[in-house]
Amino acid sequence: MTIQKTRVRPAAPPVKRRRTPTTNVADVGRPGFIWAAPATLFFGAFAIVPLIMVVVLSFMSWDGIGDPEFTGFDNWRRVFDDPVMIKSIWLSLLLTALGVLLQTPLSIMLGVWAAGNQKNRAVLSAVYFVPLLLSATAVSVVWRALLDPNFGVPAEATWLFGDGNLFGEQATAIGVLAFVSTWQFTPFHTLIYQGAARAIPQVLYQAAEIDGAGRYRQFFHVTLPQLRNAIMTSMILMVVGGLTTFETVLILTQGGPGTDTTISAYYMYEEAFKSFDYGAGATVALVLVLAATAISLIMVRLSGYDKMRSTTEGL
Amino acid sequence: MKTRRGTPRIVAGGVALGLTLALTACGDDGGSGSGENEFTVLVYGDATNKVEKKLVEEFNKTSEVKARLDTIPGAEYQQKLQTIISTPQAPDVFFHWGGGSIKPFVDADLLLPLDDFIKKEPGLKDNFLPSVFDASVVDGKAYGVPMRGTQPVMLFHNEKVLDEAGVQPPETWDDLLDAVEKLKDSGVTPIALGGGDQWPTQMWFQYLYDRIAGPELFQKALSGDTEAWESEDSRKALGMIRELVDTGAFGKTYDSVKFTNNGSPQLVASGKAGFELMGSWYYSTQQSLDEKFAAEDLGYSAFPTVEGGKGDPENLVGNTNNYYSVMKKAEHPEAIAEFLKLMYSDTFVKDQLGIGNLPTTTNTPDFLDEAASPEYSKFQYGLVEKAPHFQLSWDQAYPQSAATDLHKAIQQFFNGGLDEDGFISAMQALPTS
Repeated sequence: MTIQKTRVRPAAPPVKRRRTPTTNVADVGRPGFIWAAPATLFFGAFAIVPLIMVVVLSFMSWDGIGDPEFTGFDNWRRVFDDPVMIKSIWLSLLLTALGVLLQTPLSIMLGVWAAGNQKNRAVLSAVYFVPLLLSATAVSVVWRALLDPNFGVPAEATWLFGDGNLFGEQATAIGVLAFVSTWQFTPFHTLIYQGAARAIPQVLYQAAEIDGAGRYRQFFHVTLPQLRNAIMTSMILMVVGGLTTFETVLILTQGGPGTDTTISAYYMYEEAFKSFDYGAGATVALVLVLAATAISLIMVRLSGYDKMRSTTEGL
Repeated sequence: MKTRRGTPRIVAGGVALGLTLALTACGDDGGSGSGENEFTVLVYGDATNKVEKKLVEEFNKTSEVKARLDTIPGAEYQQKLQTIISTPQAPDVFFHWGGGSIKPFVDADLLLPLDDFIKKEPGLKDNFLPSVFDASVVDGKAYGVPMRGTQPVMLFHNEKVLDEAGVQPPETWDDLLDAVEKLKDSGVTPIALGGGDQWPTQMWFQYLYDRIAGPELFQKALSGDTEAWESEDSRKALGMIRELVDTGAFGKTYDSVKFTNNGSPQLVASGKAGFELMGSWYYSTQQSLDEKFAAEDLGYSAFPTVEGGKGDPENLVGNTNNYYSVMKKAEHPEAIAEFLKLMYSDTFVKDQLGIGNLPTTTNTPDFLDEAASPEYSKFQYGLVEKAPHFQLSWDQAYPQSAATDLHKAIQQFFNGGLDEDGFISAMQALPTS
């Protein structure tokens, strides 16, 4: 009987090892798909689905009222035969290039300056930042009024502007567009460069100083190379932004004089919403999407940006 | 540690999800064009809106079903309308120019024929001048009720500027060329033009073609016989436009000036320009900008005659009127019919006259003395009454899909971007149906 009493307790069932979160480095900060779901849904509903619809529409003829009709490659053939379309692509590229050429040096200089700790720097930086807070539409309306050939500044300052008709000639109209975009978007890129310049380790400057480098050599041999990644980021943003510029053209020039500032994005709007040829508009939009994607990819490849080499390697 | 790191992420995820849901909800919700007991009225936004606002207020005082007035700034009206017309956001009642401008909507079976309304209330037809009412009849069915004034295009001027240059309002084309020279000498732009809008430029073409060739040329071209554009008369009109532009009558900046943002009216009001060719709404535009100028120094005359022209010198061009059309999907047709009856009420006529518009109701002559400028209204009424032909604006007569190319051809010929042959082939390429 006692045996029974002394019976060995059956071995307790093995405690299930509770899965504890591993502290494996690879697991940290790697949430599951569920975390990406809202953004994916959002992107799908507001970017992918419309894009697919635009592709379908580019093979149709539709005036917005009746039922769309399939017309095969008609729109595509027409768009590539259209001299205005071809011109609009060149104009888009020209305006984008002008934007990059004007804004990059300006914003690098401003950004590097704003990264320092001079007197009044914070106040002035805040002032420079203001244009970015205004909507592109508001900015364009204001500049349109300021540059009005009859009631604006050019009408008064004829010694500077000649007949004052800045919107009347292709060269000056493009100049105005490039200038207004520069005025508005330089602060944004300044911000990128300011952050990047702040992140440059001070030891590099100390070393350069010991080697006898002056301020200019420090700028060209330390600051600029260290800003490499920031320059690429900012330039890609400029290119994509430049190719899709629209409001400035709509409000400042309406693509005029004639079709001299009709860039692709504005031409798309004209075809779709003024001529009510949504098929042709969709085709122009797709050409623009393809061109912008191709250019961005080429830039990323050429610059090695996709490999993302750190600028602080070896420090 | 774990929870602290997780919380912000959960919050962020929740916010993102919430935003997505909120946005989708907006998509469903903001949709319907009008509320329960309401119908929407969509109107071209300009100085005449104060009359429309007053009418809607008056209507809402007594009616159980309320009207809601939406306005779209002029320059964007047509494209906004066409974009929403076949969507649930479409208005129940909307403004248009009659004729070609609603043909596509009729073809798409979107509009309600008003014949039933008229059967119940014959006044909806009988109280309007027949020629004006008929301009909105499509395929034998009435689709529109006139809701503003008739808008013949006239030559307006700043009397002070003309006096200083020693110029009289021109009666003939040669008078006009003469006036241009004198105005140039006195240092002002002879003729203001809102070329940036393109349709004001078109008015010069409309009048010259009508004066030289008569209305038949354009009717022929519109009916598909595009050889009309190559005719001798067509070339003569183009030559005269070329001559006028080349003498500097419009200055150099006209394509950068707009009427729709009050640019060109300001040029005239401020004495920087002498003349402007514009529709009769010009009076209310000037009145809303500068009441004193409109009352004292704003002069007007009919478009000058052209010697040897085939067109009757009393012909007019412009918009016969604007119209309200009703959508088939409208939920409150009875209330809308009541609303449309206001378009020939005494207050409506008086208010339109008060801002310089000339309604086309049969009772209009009774109130001419109560107009803001009785002289102006009587002059206008006389023009319309006498005119053997009233040519609808080209861009309204052509189907909407032709408008952009038409405007471009006109603008480019005017500023020298296209030569005569280029303009002719551009016009021949326009779709006519």
